[in-house]
Amino acid sequence: MGGSIKINLEVRDAIIESGAGDVIKCYQCGRCMAACPWNLLEGLNYATYRFCQRIKLGAIIDSEEKEEIAADTIDVFRCVGCDSCKAECPRGVGLSDILRAVRRILVEFDSYPGELKSVVTRVFSSGNPLGESTEKRGDWAAGLNIPQYTEDCEYLYFPCCLPAYDARAKKISQATVRILKRADISFGIIGKEEFCCGEAVRRVGAEKVFQAAVKQNTELFKKAKVHKVIATSPHCLVTFTKEYPEYYDGFETLHAVQVFDRLIKDKTIVPKRPFEKTVVYHDPCTLGRQMDIYDEPRAVLKSIPGLKLIEVPIFNRDFSICCGGGAMGLWRDWPQDERLANLRTEQILATDADILCVACPYCLQMFEETLKSMDADIEVMDISEILEASLELR
Amino acid sequence: MDIIVCIKRVAQTAEAEVKIDSSGKDIIKDRLTFDMNESDTYALEEAILLKEKFGGTLTAVSLGTVEAEDTLRIALAKGADSAIRIKAEDFQELDGYKTAQLLKAAIKDLKFDVVFTGCIATDDYYSLVGVTLAELLGVPHATLVTKIVIQDTKAQVHRELEGGLVEHLEMTLPVLFTIQTGINEPRYASLIAIRRAAKKEIKVIGASEIDPANIQANASLEELFTPSVGKRAEILTGSMDEISAKVAGIIKEKGLL
Ligand code: SF4
Ligand code: SF4
Repeated sequence: MGGSIKINLEVRDAIIESGAGDVIKCYQCGRCMAACPWNLLEGLNYATYRFCQRIKLGAIIDSEEKEEIAADTIDVFRCVGCDSCKAECPRGVGLSDILRAVRRILVEFDSYPGELKSVVTRVFSSGNPLGESTEKRGDWAAGLNIPQYTEDCEYLYFPCCLPAYDARAKKISQATVRILKRADISFGIIGKEEFCCGEAVRRVGAEKVFQAAVKQNTELFKKAKVHKVIATSPHCLVTFTKEYPEYYDGFETLHAVQVFDRLIKDKTIVPKRPFEKTVVYHDPCTLGRQMDIYDEPRAVLKSIPGLKLIEVPIFNRDFSICCGGGAMGLWRDWPQDERLANLRTEQILATDADILCVACPYCLQMFEETLKSMDADIEVMDISEILEASLELR
Repeated sequence: MDIIVCIKRVAQTAEAEVKIDSSGKDIIKDRLTFDMNESDTYALEEAILLKEKFGGTLTAVSLGTVEAEDTLRIALAKGADSAIRIKAEDFQELDGYKTAQLLKAAIKDLKFDVVFTGCIATDDYYSLVGVTLAELLGVPHATLVTKIVIQDTKAQVHRELEGGLVEHLEMTLPVLFTIQTGINEPRYASLIAIRRAAKKEIKVIGASEIDPANIQANASLEELFTPSVGKRAEILTGSMDEISAKVAGIIKEKGLL
């Protein structure tokens, strides 16, 4: 954002109208910049504190130079929506919400990175970011004897797109439903009529595609009489809980880990088989900072005999650092020295844990991909996989 | 230098499941996204770069329904000075020849030194409009252009050929280029330019300006269909290791190694 500032009140009004009303609260203290994980990467200077001021002046992406416009645009699409800034901001400003307003205008004018555009296109056309066929959305449950959802079910299990299609992530949805079955939870799945929850498309500013997702899912939930949902991805959880009610509030959502925690507390399931490993738990941004769910996953892990739970020093719970997968970060191809996943993986490796426990399919994929290029002796497991391993065979 | 760039709004089908509608002549579009045709984005960028270098005017033209105005606005936001939409709704059964005639009718009274089009449209893959338009305008053309250097009235032009060969031509303006992807890096738009483009008037012309009776198509579409799947493909299943072992086995068995 070099060069002189050109004030343009029309640009300001357009961005504010697009959802950035909170810019007015910012007094440029700079705490967000200190909290933003991008600034923990050496050599990167992500001047988050300037965004609000720039928007107040309508002076953002205001250059006439092609390279400067590109650099500013990349910056606007860099934020992963981790809300580390929001947690620190004395005025409660969430920069990811502010930047989303700018992104909406840019996406409308097709002025955004091609990597993101491909994902947006796939979500709109296929209902999932992988571009897989909707017909196959229920295939992950083949052979597991999971009933189709009917109105007699208490819960709908909503697997999220990655655990519905991706070979590795499917193991999460499969472990989760096996646990739910053992606990005699009344639930079913829907499969092919489901659509991506739309969390990531909304974050990158593709509002029309998000609206299509909301319409399809809420109509489906109404028709199927869904009132309670169990989600495996905290991204679905946060979207269903905080974004959907504006359009339809006839259902509530729990994350699988909340259900596991309750089932263990009321002794419906009892982890008995020892899991003799040192496990470090990574708080996903969407489950931790955005949904305040810190204790349940730890309680689940602590209930497992033999398991030694450790923490990443300092950067745990609300100070946890994003894996880099949020806001479609999973599909970005940043240069090696601009990857949040590298930073977080190094923090995790420094703990010497045997197992990295995650509770989000994006985190799982980000860490597994990152570890492939590192010479490290650690395994990534979802909390459902660890829990299932500790349940006695039946 | 006066420049014209022809752009097309196309459905993005590369990553979508494409289904044919009940007419049997079109695809179902309600779950497709639409954007500027890929090589047209490079044609537009090349046009903007020329305008930045030599000054003059840059006009974007598109044949399409009212939604094509969104695509024209993108061109305006990135650097076009004015935009013209030819109302596709006034002209039925469009083929490449008819499209070229309509574009000619829209631009024939404009001054131009260079006309740009993309090298191919990713919806119907004809590669027809650019060359036909050049012929109708009576100007020379070069297709699959990967480099342009202009000095005075001469253009040094590179064309991409098969097998990694490049053809270097010298051409005299006025000229028409169909642009290959990768020739440049298409730009993002500034927010000021986006706001300006959002308000700009787009000239719309249709049957009252161009008599449909004088414009005929060369070909009419009979049917669109998905060919039946052959039996040659074998889908391997299993873990990564199992699949790799199977692939290695097949390669050995066929004597490919
Ligand atoms: S922490 Fe909040 S108030 Fe401070 S600069 Fe950042 S957004 Fe503004
Ligand atoms: S949401 Fe996260 S990535 Fe985005 S500006 Fe805030 S701290 Fe940085």
